[in-house]
Amino acid sequence: MAGSAHPEAMAPPKPGRTRTAPPQMPSTWWSAPRIRTYLLFDATGIIYFLVGFLAIKIVGQLAEGPGAWQAQMKALENPLYIAFHVLALASVIFVAVRFFRLFPKAQPPSIGPAKPPPGPVIHAMLYVVWLGLTALISLALAGVIL
Amino acid sequence: MSSNNSSSAPPAAVDKTIIITRFDPDKDEAPRKQEYTVPCEDNWKVLDAVNFIKDEIDPTVSHRWSCRMAVCGSCGMMVNGEPKLTCKASLNEYGDRVDIEPLANFPVVRDLVVELDGFMHKFESVKPWIKRVKEKAEDKAALHETKLTYTQSADELADFKQFSMCINCMLCYAACPVVANEPEFLGPAAIALGHRYNLDTRDEGAEERLEIFRGEGTVFSCSYANECSEVCPKNVDPAAAVNQAKFGAVIDWAKGLVLPRAPHAAD
Repeated sequence: MAGSAHPEAMAPPKPGRTRTAPPQMPSTWWSAPRIRTYLLFDATGIIYFLVGFLAIKIVGQLAEGPGAWQAQMKALENPLYIAFHVLALASVIFVAVRFFRLFPKAQPPSIGPAKPPPGPVIHAMLYVVWLGLTALISLALAGVIL
Repeated sequence: MSSNNSSSAPPAAVDKTIIITRFDPDKDEAPRKQEYTVPCEDNWKVLDAVNFIKDEIDPTVSHRWSCRMAVCGSCGMMVNGEPKLTCKASLNEYGDRVDIEPLANFPVVRDLVVELDGFMHKFESVKPWIKRVKEKAEDKAALHETKLTYTQSADELADFKQFSMCINCMLCYAACPVVANEPEFLGPAAIALGHRYNLDTRDEGAEERLEIFRGEGTVFSCSYANECSEVCPKNVDPAAAVNQAKFGAVIDWAKGLVLPRAPHAAD
């Protein structure tokens, strides 16, 4: 009967653990397009923080009286403010589209006896609700309704 | 039948530079890169190139592989920065230089071989088996008499079948940016497996697993990057499982606020 290929091949492991290298991050991790998209998604949090900060500031100006409010409205006409709001709008659209794409598959397969609608239907419903609400709010702000 | 000489000719080999991460725990301070020039044939997978290096150029290179048909899940490596089953990834998809590294988010034992202990402990922590809270005597007798196992409808099976197709290749764990930042995070594979059992109608351990899922470093640490699902070679979609598990954990928590616990918990 042939012996083992190595005298220690079937020997019990020696006490102590094998030395390991810590987990290695791939050297090009940042260059993958999906990771860049995800980093961009994370970075939109900074935009929302700034939008929130601006909203609080505007409410503060409103509390200070009509003069401060008018000055703030004038300041918002600055191209930098306009560019910031365009950036904020782009961020919202980017995050919403990503959220709508990922939301359907996060639904449980069933809630009690009820099954959720198919993924594409949920996906479409999200867009309908989003666009509908946007239209309603726009009409209300324009004074057409309410 | 006429034979075609051009189709029987061996495919032309093209030299590619294969860069392998090397680490010898007895000699190296840290992993390093080593380049090999490999005559790659047109139909080769990445694993073929690594095997060629091992067989023909440098027998000291260490890597894991087994089935060569994307079933065993043992040949996962980072190929140009992306977790891949190397027996499934064609070399043609890459340029003249192919960088092969051990799976990210795992300690490295040697070269391309990673340590699985932590990953396996996380697997174990979600109790990935069918748990019966209390086997009723009459159930046992009925099963014994009829020689039936617990039955399940096709619809019930469909609810979790996708999540049971996991081959434990660990690509999702290597791709997860949350694991990279929070090594304590359970990771997509373990959560998907736990969720698979939670959806199984034969199982009664969901409450116990949801308790685990509500803890720190589990489902709510997931930021839904979806990377795990992007790299999964079996379309298991672990991101869906993790986020369904989030939903389940929230519903279970809310139910616990307004309803008494499930009857079997009080038994």
